[in-house]
Amino acid sequence: MGGQSGPTMDSGDFIDESDYKSSAQAVKSSKTIQGGSSSLSGSESGKMMVGNGGPDSYEVVFVKDNVSVHPTQNASERISGRLRLIKQGASLFMTWIPYTVKGGGRQGSSIMKSAEKDRNLYTIRAVSLAEMRSIRRHTPPFGLQYIIIVLTSGLAFPPLYFHTGGVREFLSTLRNHALLVRSNDDSNVYLVNDVQDPLQRSLTSLELTEVTPVAVVVEPPPIVTKKDETVQPVEESPASTSMQTSVYRQGPRREASREIINVLEKFSMVTKFARDTTAHLFGESRLLGNSEMDFDRGPMRLRNEGSVSKSTGELPPVDGAQEPVKDGKEAAAKDEGKDTKKAQDEESEKQKRIANEEASTNVGSFELVDGTKNDTPALVWGRARPPPLGHEEWVTFLDREGRVVDSKALKKRVFHGGVEPNLRPELWKFLLGHYKFDSTYAERNALVSSKREEYKVLQAQWKTVSEDQAKRFAKFRERKHRVEKDVIRTDRTIPFYEGDDNRNVELLRDILVTYSFYNFDLGYCQGMSDLLSPILYVMEDESEAFWCFAALMERMAPNFHRDQNGMQAQLSALSKLVQLLDTPLHDYFKQNECLNYFFCFRWILICFKREFDYNDVLRLWEVLWSHYLSEHFHLYMCVAILKRHRRKIMDEQMEFDTLLKFINELSGHIELESTLRDTEALCLFAGEKGAACIPPGTPPSLPVVEVDPFAVSLESSQNL
Amino acid sequence: MCRLRDHAQGFRRRPFPDLSFFISSFRSFCQVLLGDMGAGKSSLALRFVKGQFFDYQESTIGAAFLTQTLAVNETTVKFEIWDTAGQERYHSLAPMYYRGAAAAIIVYDITNADSFGRAKKWVQELQRQGNPNLVMALAGNKADLASKKKIEAEEGQAYAEENGLFFMETSAKTAQNVNELFYEIARKLPKAQPAQAAGMTLTDRSASRLTPAKTTCCT
Ligand SMILES: Nc1nc2c(ncn2[C@@H]2O[C@H](COP(=O)(O)OP(=O)(O)OP(=O)(O)O)[C@@H](O)[C@H]2O)c(=O)[nH]1
Ligand SMILES: [Mg+2]
Repeated sequence: MGGQSGPTMDSGDFIDESDYKSSAQAVKSSKTIQGGSSSLSGSESGKMMVGNGGPDSYEVVFVKDNVSVHPTQNASERISGRLRLIKQGASLFMTWIPYTVKGGGRQGSSIMKSAEKDRNLYTIRAVSLAEMRSIRRHTPPFGLQYIIIVLTSGLAFPPLYFHTGGVREFLSTLRNHALLVRSNDDSNVYLVNDVQDPLQRSLTSLELTEVTPVAVVVEPPPIVTKKDETVQPVEESPASTSMQTSVYRQGPRREASREIINVLEKFSMVTKFARDTTAHLFGESRLLGNSEMDFDRGPMRLRNEGSVSKSTGELPPVDGAQEPVKDGKEAAAKDEGKDTKKAQDEESEKQKRIANEEASTNVGSFELVDGTKNDTPALVWGRARPPPLGHEEWVTFLDREGRVVDSKALKKRVFHGGVEPNLRPELWKFLLGHYKFDSTYAERNALVSSKREEYKVLQAQWKTVSEDQAKRFAKFRERKHRVEKDVIRTDRTIPFYEGDDNRNVELLRDILVTYSFYNFDLGYCQGMSDLLSPILYVMEDESEAFWCFAALMERMAPNFHRDQNGMQAQLSALSKLVQLLDTPLHDYFKQNECLNYFFCFRWILICFKREFDYNDVLRLWEVLWSHYLSEHFHLYMCVAILKRHRRKIMDEQMEFDTLLKFINELSGHIELESTLRDTEALCLFAGEKGAACIPPGTPPSLPVVEVDPFAVSLESSQNL
Repeated sequence: MCRLRDHAQGFRRRPFPDLSFFISSFRSFCQVLLGDMGAGKSSLALRFVKGQFFDYQESTIGAAFLTQTLAVNETTVKFEIWDTAGQERYHSLAPMYYRGAAAAIIVYDITNADSFGRAKKWVQELQRQGNPNLVMALAGNKADLASKKKIEAEEGQAYAEENGLFFMETSAKTAQNVNELFYEIARKLPKAQPAQAAGMTLTDRSASRLTPAKTTCCT
């Protein structure tokens, strides 16, 4: 198995003969189970076919009882249910419906209610095989068998434990209805495809060889079989009520190395890159062993916000996986009326690029789920990116006067989900520091109008320079000229800045020239137009865009200092981070005298603005500006991207010149969401050791707070 | 990397095909594009390497590296081109790119007098480096914009002659003189040169605080 290069499609390879027999009898045996379990009453009981065999009819081809989900390690919290494979027309669906515990809910106790919620949360109503990417089986000689199903959407269901065996039967039944390909990388992983057309099938199986399998090891908790559990199938009930049950948990700091490995293992399923990371980090676990993993800093979450119900539909389900909500779509919608067609083209262009992405990125994203009782992470759970923060939810962060009650929670929310396009103008002002989190509605309104006046004054300082005056004002002419040279070639392919005499291009110029008067010492510097462009695009207001840009520059100005100190600090921090997180790569760079990291200069100077398409830049910047895991998340992101390509870099023995070329050419070929997940994992893993690589004051940290001049004078007078 | 060497001097250890084994005369050399922002450095390089031109060519952040392999007379030449960022602010980074270059193209925009002034400054700076083997060219770019011309060709020509550079008016937009410019540089390179000669004599590493341990071009 291990030495083979292609995907193994030979059925004999993954299931032995005896399995075949059992699979051939799957239907029969399921009938037996149905007939045999008197405690069950189900609509399909004793009725394998519904309808007349037409497109609406369905057939239950596999049933397994006592398949359970273990939300925690606590055996009493296990949720048992029935797993079924249902064939409808040419499609196969899987459902897992938990039983209701007799008397559940009637007691009215909160425990029962939460158990009820759990059941709803975990219910798998119907997931089409077409939505599945891979299945990992675990059939330990002792202990419970279980499977983990990863969807093409990147979600994964929690492990499904087979209390009475049957994983093999399950897989062989699946195989009779779908293409299962055993992964080259891990013989316990089956890549699923539901394609009927043989040509399509072979093409798809080729693609699948690229897929990186899930590589998690979850030790099943000790078996505790609960007998006498009277069960009944749950009635279909909307899961929506449980969608808001997600709880952000603050776990205690804990003695780390094993936990770190756990965390990493769980994150590591995400991409090929991450697997490299894991392998590498395992090697380093001793080094980092005594560092404390601060779980509070992590995105560890209890369960999943409605992801199950999101990725599964009612029968009959819609074909194909539901696309996760994308900024791109919404931002494209924003462009409606501007240039919808263009936006669509861009979107499909982007999809193509993603498809071409080297590393498979959709295998799944996993997180720790709280082990409520015993404080140990109990199982993994796929997390789709939560939907972007929208208006309704936003107001829940505010008190009556409009203050943000818990800015940390807000930042966390933005970090994970981003912000809906129509909320960006408001939210970005907070993220950038133009609005204070503890300001009230009234204060903000006042700020807007006073700043508008102030902007007018600043702008007048140069707008009123007469031609005659300008003749004798070389510095001004030159500065304005530089700005003009750059704005006419900034994002001109974006509809917002497209075309001759575009008003927004003029606004870019006006804001930048005004800024160069507002911050005369810094002046205009190449790269600034890149930083302003998305801000103006979002704000659609000159004064607001100016002040947001000015706020951003409070942090980023050092990037543009003539002495290059700010960039130097970041590049050297990056070097240390790579040394920490990928020593071989660091050594490689050292050997090839690339330790100046100048090939990452553009990434850092303008925050990846040139590396992603426009909507992704907006999404990325929100994440960066949330300063949630680190103010220097962008540096970890550099590491993540470098690590993803480490093999190529080293195999091709890139030196500074070819490396810089390679890095520049990555532009437009970096898949954002998976990169963010990788970065998050790295950042968490690096923990305090990572933070220690970044000296205080490294941009974009805010410079040391200026002392109130009044306080200074007081102090000095006291000194006198 | 990016070093001047001819066939006899051995081969690069990079895995990509090294034509030097098969071609009687193969050389690769490194050159750097310098000049004011917006003068058209990237556009010239792009025109030469990819035959493309963009009205909205983005400013260069950091630097770019491009390569092009072409036959020049009997010799196959690999052009390795560093395209730098034009703004004065990033001046301190330039030495790491020009330090070891065998050739430098200094570009100005014929419609912009300031850019000509800046070109002269680049020439002076390179002369101060004291590399006698450095081939320098002066390119008056955007020749297609004749109506907006601020610097006459004679002016550029005269300055070039005074300083031992060769001069051409170019247009990245129309491709006028672009290939000619690069070919001419290739021809001007010393023919049989000891590998260590060009661009290796510079030892001033204090020019920039950011100077890497190793010069990045043509070391
Ligand atoms: N008409 C005309 N425009 C040109 C020519 N060459 C460049 N341009 C335009 O001039 C602008 C600047 O060109 P770039 O090639 O980016 O200039 P650069 O010297 O690389 O600028 P920096 O990267 O900022 O240092 C772009 O809008 C180009 O389209 C030319 O020959 N004719
Ligand atoms: Mg350029």
